[in-house]
Amino acid sequence: MNKMFAVARWEYVEKIKSKAFLVSIVLIPLIMLGLGIVPGMLASRSDTETRTIGVFDQTGNLLKPLQSYLDKRYRLADNRPNYRLVAVADTVNSTVEGKNLADALVMADKIEGYVIIPKSIMSDSSVEYRSENVGNVRITDRLTTGIRDLVVQRKLHERGIDPRFARELTSPFEMRTIKLSKTGEEESGFAQIFFTAYIFMMMLMFLVMTSGQLLVRSMLEEKSNRVIEVLVSSCSPKDLMAGKILGLSGLGLTQMGIWAMIGVAISLKFGIAMIPLSSAVLLFIYYVLGYLFYAGMFVAVGAPVSTEQEAQQITSYLTIILVLPIALAVPVMQNPNSLLVKVLSYIPLLTPTMMAIRIPINMPSPVEILTTIAILTASAIAVIWAAGKIFRVAILIYGKRPSIPEFLRILRS
Amino acid sequence: MLKVSNIRKQYSSVLAADNVSLEARRGAILGLIGPNGAGKTTTIRMILNIIQPDSGSITYDDKPFNQGVRDIIGYLPEERGLYRKNKLLNAIMYFASLRGVPADEAKRRAYDWLKRFDLLNYYDRKIEELSKGNQQKVGFIISVLHDPQLVILDEPFSGLDPINQINLKDILLELKKLGKAIIFSTHQMDHAEKLCDDICLINSGKVILEGSLPDIKSRYGKNTIQLIYDGDGAFMHSLAGVKTAHVYENFAELVLSTSNHHNELLIELAKNINVRKFERVEPSLNAIFLELVGADKKTILKGGGSYE
Repeated sequence: MNKMFAVARWEYVEKIKSKAFLVSIVLIPLIMLGLGIVPGMLASRSDTETRTIGVFDQTGNLLKPLQSYLDKRYRLADNRPNYRLVAVADTVNSTVEGKNLADALVMADKIEGYVIIPKSIMSDSSVEYRSENVGNVRITDRLTTGIRDLVVQRKLHERGIDPRFARELTSPFEMRTIKLSKTGEEESGFAQIFFTAYIFMMMLMFLVMTSGQLLVRSMLEEKSNRVIEVLVSSCSPKDLMAGKILGLSGLGLTQMGIWAMIGVAISLKFGIAMIPLSSAVLLFIYYVLGYLFYAGMFVAVGAPVSTEQEAQQITSYLTIILVLPIALAVPVMQNPNSLLVKVLSYIPLLTPTMMAIRIPINMPSPVEILTTIAILTASAIAVIWAAGKIFRVAILIYGKRPSIPEFLRILRS
Repeated sequence: MLKVSNIRKQYSSVLAADNVSLEARRGAILGLIGPNGAGKTTTIRMILNIIQPDSGSITYDDKPFNQGVRDIIGYLPEERGLYRKNKLLNAIMYFASLRGVPADEAKRRAYDWLKRFDLLNYYDRKIEELSKGNQQKVGFIISVLHDPQLVILDEPFSGLDPINQINLKDILLELKKLGKAIIFSTHQMDHAEKLCDDICLINSGKVILEGSLPDIKSRYGKNTIQLIYDGDGAFMHSLAGVKTAHVYENFAELVLSTSNHHNELLIELAKNINVRKFERVEPSLNAIFLELVGADKKTILKGGGSYE
């Protein structure tokens, strides 16, 4: 027992000081935050300089209204207009002539791009935007809305309808979504729930992945340096393995604790609703059980490994199984109570991740929770027991990996 | 202290240990010698209970293996068995804690040993930054820090410079005086010869020679001649009355078929070379080793295979 704690302490203290751990603890939340926030920030960053956009107005009377439409709505921080429209061709020019003229301006970087408003705009409602960069969604969006609004106004005017009256009729329509649960109602959008579930699943995945890799690496290192011989001559393989799992679980808990603190801090700062405590506790139970289950798996398949490449291969296979539910995430979210989802939740390999998705979306029934926890606990114990048997033999195997029948023989012995 | 009786270990196609028996006494050094792949490491692993023999028994002070035995054995594996990325003192303290030494006591002993091996300045360094020889010393410190009763060292002298070899030799003799049972494996016969009280020679999984060193030597009689000379000694291989000849540049060890014709031999030798020293001795361990293992390897039994 004491020896097990000595091993656990060593694994915990030495790994927590390692660069790999520090990197994983800081980098992963940063990556996840980055993926969620940076593209949005970049896309929504306002311009600092007036953009010059060409207009090939074949109707001859839309350029000015469009300019004042844009001026009214979009201005730079220092109140200069955001967009300056210039005529790139005249109504006397044919379409081909106009295009040639304007394309040259674009290529010479005189204008950002230009829009062709055809004579037939009132009947076929289609314009063309030409630019070297057509990825700037904001420009095309604003131009489209502007031109559409102007065209609609004119059409209404032609038919003698008051534009104000029309605006009333076409006021935007909105649907709010309210998530109902036993404890009450709560307003939240699909996106928010999706990301909550997604984040919980990703966290579990990273957790298992990093510590699984640490576990396999540490066994590999001890094997290649023959430290393992000194270790198993000074403590029983059982103590050694249990100590390793315990120490790395401590590491995982530390990691999770730090992430949780970051998460709580962020949600308090930005007023994002947190998941209820009961869900958090349940998730924690699934995490710990899932973690132990996978730790056992990593030991069982990792102990016979004797090269870095094999270690990498094996950890990635296990990780693939673990992330399998990501592919299922969307259907699960759309229909968290379908039979398929329920069946999958009972498979121990998938239980933790499936539950990580399901709990934030729609709390499974108590019966389901209890049975999945029971199954997962039993499987975790079984896997760790088997891992112990394999560990004892496999840590002394160098070179050739044992075949499946050899594995079975070890388990039977 | 340790008694190994008739242990046997079969790997799928190899018989790694075939009926191996040996005994390590308190206050004595047992040399486990044998060529590479003879089964020395397998035997050691079974003594350490890392692997279990298929049959046979191993007792420690007449008791079978139990968890407590781990704390009275100290082990230095052949390739040092050290972490690379961890700090020296931390690693030493970890292994001490695994063997139940309280932390403050372990620290005190660690400093003593580090001082003794001139490693005190390195205590906060990563092990991989140390030279091979210094790593070997750290491995040794780890194997004895918990004051074990049985010390098992696999090739302890490899990588040490001559000064540290003497240093280690002194420490082993000291441990012996303290009543520890020491087993060390080597294929450097001169170390074994200088240090060991008992010898166990293993080849192809079998013990082919066992006993106290003086006994063994006397068993192999006094019909060995050691020779220092100038000249070309190649002719000695085919000399009449010489059973085996180990001929080196200016040194030769000749084993005679009978023990009473060395005078004739000397006359014969003097005709061809300039003899500077001619001595009738007990055979060296090296000669015995070469004779037994060489014969075994080639399965040619030269002149009956043994000296008597």
